[in-house]
Amino acid sequence: MHLVCVGVSHKTATLELREQLALDDEQAARFGRSLLDEASINEAVALSTCNRTELYLYADDTLAAEQVALQQLAEYAAVDPAELRVATYSFSGDAAIGHLFRVAASLDSMVIGEDQILGQLKNSYQLACGSGCTSTVFNKLFRHALEVGKRVRSQTSIGARPVSVSSAAVELARQVLGKLERHTVLVLGAGETSELTVRHLVSAGIGRILVASRTFETAAELAASCGGQAMPFEQLDELLVEADIVISSTGASDYVVDRKQMQAAMRRRKGRAAFLIDIAVPRDLDPQINRLDNVFLYDIDGLREVVEQNRAERQREAAHAERIVDHELGRMNEWLAGLEVVPTIAQLRSTVDGIRESELERLGGRLEDLTPEQRNQVEALTTGIVNKILHLPTVRMKEIAAERDAYVYVDVLRHLFGLNGAAGEGESCELSDLKDDRHGDE
Amino acid sequence: MERLEVIFVWVAFLAYASAFVFFLYYLLNKRELLNRIGLAAAVVGFALQTAAIALRDSRLHHAPVVGAYESLLTISWAMMVVYLLLEWRTHIKALGLYVLPLVLVFLGIAWANYEATSAVMPALESDIVVIHVIVIFTAIAAFIVAGGSAAIYLIEARKLKHRKAGGVLGRLPSLESLDRLTGHAIMFGLPFLSMGIVAGIIRAQKFRVESWYTDALVLLAIGAWLVYAAFVYLRYARGWHGRRPAWLAIAGLVFLFVIRFVAVPYLSNFHTWGS
Repeated sequence: MHLVCVGVSHKTATLELREQLALDDEQAARFGRSLLDEASINEAVALSTCNRTELYLYADDTLAAEQVALQQLAEYAAVDPAELRVATYSFSGDAAIGHLFRVAASLDSMVIGEDQILGQLKNSYQLACGSGCTSTVFNKLFRHALEVGKRVRSQTSIGARPVSVSSAAVELARQVLGKLERHTVLVLGAGETSELTVRHLVSAGIGRILVASRTFETAAELAASCGGQAMPFEQLDELLVEADIVISSTGASDYVVDRKQMQAAMRRRKGRAAFLIDIAVPRDLDPQINRLDNVFLYDIDGLREVVEQNRAERQREAAHAERIVDHELGRMNEWLAGLEVVPTIAQLRSTVDGIRESELERLGGRLEDLTPEQRNQVEALTTGIVNKILHLPTVRMKEIAAERDAYVYVDVLRHLFGLNGAAGEGESCELSDLKDDRHGDE
Repeated sequence: MERLEVIFVWVAFLAYASAFVFFLYYLLNKRELLNRIGLAAAVVGFALQTAAIALRDSRLHHAPVVGAYESLLTISWAMMVVYLLLEWRTHIKALGLYVLPLVLVFLGIAWANYEATSAVMPALESDIVVIHVIVIFTAIAAFIVAGGSAAIYLIEARKLKHRKAGGVLGRLPSLESLDRLTGHAIMFGLPFLSMGIVAGIIRAQKFRVESWYTDALVLLAIGAWLVYAAFVYLRYARGWHGRRPAWLAIAGLVFLFVIRFVAVPYLSNFHTWGS
């Protein structure tokens, strides 16, 4: 029995292909079940997000399982199998476990450190578990992977810094102004990035939103969509006094706010800090404004610079996360290798001993003629045979316990003697809640 | 008893030092647990320092403000009081990083000047002297915290201006809260400094200290008072925010350090204890 992972991700496949291969919850569950119908596949989990579609399989023959899975996936998504094959990667054994852990740790994500993958992975596992597609090995493996993801989140600051322009802008605003509940944002002009930033500000609890644009209709439209107030553009000087955050993205060819204007506003603001974001190209806000005390001006380059720094920070933290993944991989292997062997041997013994006892019972009537001494001899003889038969397998299994592939033998033994997997964790698919306290970057 | 006091001071020193290391480590990798451990260590150190001061007090029967050792021990204790109160009320975490090294330096200097006993000049055995010293120590502790938050403000504002926000985001308190903290700490400290100066003047008058008003220390203290009074006026009456009040808070702190480490040992004609 071997672990194998096949799939496509943003690293290997185009968005178009990923879209075709995306499975919703119901499809993922159904697809997992259909894979289990294949004789060679014992456990299956399908993980599908917008950046990846991966199948985790526990199978006798990894190559065959991989073939079948890809074949079915191509059929399911109605894509050309050859095209799929080109974009596919596959890992088996250790590499598959390592890959799953790295995915859970968001190290394989498009945005390293993003926090959605953990929830998606949990969801995929629960679906598979709920539809009976997982058993001893995958129950352990996926629970462990979720733990790895949580550990990486809590023990590194891999997801601490925002890496998109709009969320970085919000973090900077927070760094300057503190809590945003009592602050006012002024949006000048409309644009995709400024709208996105406003949406982030809303979820960060911004107190008031003012919108002004050269054409009042545009302002009214944006104001309506984000719960703000449309203001006449002519009142700009007043608005600058009221606003603690200004997001500017007008199409003007000249500065919309120059240094003198801002200086006057700051005087009337009694020096209260102001955070200005200039998303427009050419710029709307005079760069000289940044020289004023307690005014912090970021243009699009400035925001990108911060995002780059944060990205570099995530890279540094990723190295730390990789070490955690390595360590956990070792622990998982230990479990696969050792923890299974002992209970399996015990189970094997009790099963075979059970057979012996039930056979003796079946003969019960015919043994009654025997003297107690003879009966003891029969007892000793049968026990002896059982022990002799089990001796070598027991010794061999104990030897193998230290080896990496021990779980393969365990599985074979279980299969041959019909032992059911009682050694795993609880069969419930419920998992303790993952904390969803981080803000997303996407 | 004396041995116990010494042990307590030493262990308190170690506890503060380890708290500082934890805070530093927390700044680097942001694990909440480190912050909690650091805080716990700081609280343990504070409890031990309190016990040491109480032991000394009960042994020598005077308020622990006589001589360099006692005064620094008490100032650093007062700083810890102010720091722990602020930490408890505001959760501004970076403060420990700034207060603890100062506490460590003060404790270290105190230790270098350790005296097993200290005797008070008869002239100084009066309630008004005790009040004078205690309220001034409280003021100093508050001003040190204010100076620290002002310094953090200036560094952070500079980084944000120069787009070096990466090292700051989410690690240091927001500029807004630092600005507020500086203001609050000075508003808290100024009445104590005023009371302390008034108590000093009353005592000087009562004991007919000659030409106390030309003493370097007194003049410097009045200079410091003017700086802080200016801060309060500009900040709360004129609505100053940002770098200028922060620089004022630091200027005031410079005055205080000159007073403690230059004027008291070298320039002042009185404010000497015992011999």
